[in-house]
Amino acid sequence: MLNYIIRRLLLMIPTIIGITLLVFLVMAMSPGGLTAGIRGQEGNMRPDQRKKIEEYYKKRYGLDQPLYRQYLRWLNHVLPFGAKEAGEGFPRKWPVGLKSPDLGESLMRHRPVIDVVAEALPVTILLNLITVPVIYAISITAGIYAARRRGNSFDVAWGTTSLALWSIPTMWAGVMFLGLFANRDVINIFPASGLHDTLAEQMRFLPSWPGGVFARGWLLDFAWHLTLPIICLTYGGFAFMSKLMRASVLENLSADFARTARAKGLTDRAVLFRHVLSNSVLPLITVAAGILPGLLGGSLIVESIFSINGMGRLMIDAIFQKDRELVMSEAFVIGIVSLVSLLVADLCYAAADPRVTYE
Amino acid sequence: MSNFAATPADAGTDVQFPTSNVDVPLPWLAQVWKQSISQRAARFGLAWISVVAFCAIFAPLLANSFPIAIKMNGRWSSPFLHQLTATDVTLPILTLLCGILCFVRRIGFLSKIYTMLIATVIVGSLAFIFIRPPNTPRETYRLLERAGRLQSVVRTPIPYTFDDRLYDQFSADHPHPWAPSHDHWMGTEKFGADITSQMIYACRIAMAIGFISTGISVLIGIVFGGLMGYFVGIVDLLGMRVIEIVGAIPTIYLLLIFVAAFPDYRSIYLIMAIIGLTSWTGDARFVRAEFLKLRNQEFVHAAIAAGLPLRSVLFKHLLPNALAPLLVSASFGIAGAILSESTLSFLGLGIPVGDASWGALLNEAVSAGGGFIWWLATYPGLAIFLTVLSYNFIGEAVRDALDPKLRERS
Repeated sequence: MLNYIIRRLLLMIPTIIGITLLVFLVMAMSPGGLTAGIRGQEGNMRPDQRKKIEEYYKKRYGLDQPLYRQYLRWLNHVLPFGAKEAGEGFPRKWPVGLKSPDLGESLMRHRPVIDVVAEALPVTILLNLITVPVIYAISITAGIYAARRRGNSFDVAWGTTSLALWSIPTMWAGVMFLGLFANRDVINIFPASGLHDTLAEQMRFLPSWPGGVFARGWLLDFAWHLTLPIICLTYGGFAFMSKLMRASVLENLSADFARTARAKGLTDRAVLFRHVLSNSVLPLITVAAGILPGLLGGSLIVESIFSINGMGRLMIDAIFQKDRELVMSEAFVIGIVSLVSLLVADLCYAAADPRVTYE
Repeated sequence: MSNFAATPADAGTDVQFPTSNVDVPLPWLAQVWKQSISQRAARFGLAWISVVAFCAIFAPLLANSFPIAIKMNGRWSSPFLHQLTATDVTLPILTLLCGILCFVRRIGFLSKIYTMLIATVIVGSLAFIFIRPPNTPRETYRLLERAGRLQSVVRTPIPYTFDDRLYDQFSADHPHPWAPSHDHWMGTEKFGADITSQMIYACRIAMAIGFISTGISVLIGIVFGGLMGYFVGIVDLLGMRVIEIVGAIPTIYLLLIFVAAFPDYRSIYLIMAIIGLTSWTGDARFVRAEFLKLRNQEFVHAAIAAGLPLRSVLFKHLLPNALAPLLVSASFGIAGAILSESTLSFLGLGIPVGDASWGALLNEAVSAGGGFIWWLATYPGLAIFLTVLSYNFIGEAVRDALDPKLRERS
């Protein structure tokens, strides 16, 4: 197993390099040059001042060099080892050595990209880490329920509803939720934006009743802010997964081992929960690899609608500002996140099904 | 599934449909069609898509600021005809041609498709070269009518073009967007254009985006996946790496990156190309898997042994047998492309401002600054939802028809 993991991790390296190269080439095609975004900030400068500042930026971000050197420069930034650049302190006077990897500096924000990403990445990962268990819990329950009462009204209704839910565009759901449940003119029960109240820092962690007045506390405030985004992120997933769950439970219920278990005298419940269930969950784990990129994409839309400062929102900002360093680092980080989660999904599959070995 | 896809001739024994008075089994694709269309959901999907297609083709007849006919100074004329754009003319002509071709029995299916493609190119380019409508202000005939200059007017059901910003009805104390009313069934947007009209014209973009970008992605997928599946070895290994690279980034991120590479004015064709270029990996995987399964079949060996050129082996012998999963993935792909376009437009990175698109309208529902504008959120969102749902229904039905095992199970 360790062998397999190491091999997969090594195979990721060319993929990641490919991703960054692809993104770099696409961004390099951008007309108006990469300084176009920077130029926008200059305002009313004299031509000579403008020229100077442009040259300064070009030099600072290495934009005056040929393309392949720009790319190698970026790669050099990212790797934990590489050639020394101005401003980097290596232990001794070596031209090449170990260094702390960084993601360059954002062209528009003039901040290290790694800081910007470090603020945004946990938010996106948190959103997805909450979403996945919710999807699985609902889809497994509903799938079992529908399969046990195959053909009855719940089954039929759920089948149609889930296909409909699956087709609802996330942005529409988001816009409608925002407009109906977080709107002062209609129903104002949910917050419209962000993950925390502005005063969240002063709250206690758990709900409390200081002086008989209910104060919701940090945790409840957080959950309250998360409700609508999480609904938007989950409904598509569980619609799809519960269909899959239903089909696989039905298949396993009519399998030989289930018949044997029933012939042995086990009750229907025991057959279902001891024998059929564990086998039926397998396809759900297989498709986990497939829905993860979709989830990351979905969280981009949700973040943009609910003004949550995650990777998706950062990406949209970076695209609007043509901030190459930020876009490349975003693609790099998102690529790593999705590749790692694919690997985790494969490992979960092996863990759940003893028949699967990756040797 | 494996046997099924490999030998389509046998498939006829598995597939049963109610009205088979004829002993000769229908062609395989016709069976699939009949099987899928027998489902209620697929019929609903097809009905909705027909509505969208109808709106797309006859948009200028449904919503137009220029009357179909007017009587001015005692003479009848048709301002509507002078204002037709190249697209307005091309679409009905091609639809007519398509209709005629469907009833012609002599020509084979492939030649019909080629005829359509050639006709599209010829008619399209002729129309775009020769038809240049004058840039008449949209409110011209409304003003004339109000001034009493027109003796009689025949208007389209919705008397506004999608880019008619109602400059003649501007009033400072009643700013746009207006809520739905008797004059504007679905209200107006922030610039004052009629939403009903915008929704009708947006059908064009939805249809075009769906078919053209899926066409591009399927084409890339066939060539890429086909070569990989046929040549295996190093080609396959390299190809899989490329697929992994493109597939590892979530599609929406990839779309955004591609969009960022282009100037701020993005034409609709560019968006189509970008969506096609970012969504081919699934198709390539399907084709590769099918080709891998098929390449050791006897009929392929026979074709190779007969000395047929590679092109013929790949596209004439292998491809038709691998079309089945591609059909399913294409119909889900159309749904995905429409979603992608509306998402891009929703984020403000899609089609240029001024063009009608459901996604762009949805974007205005929250971004116009006036809070939540329900008519801008409900109607376009519903249209996107129904269209995506329809293609998903059709995809499901086709998949069920192709996979008898699945059908028995559910």
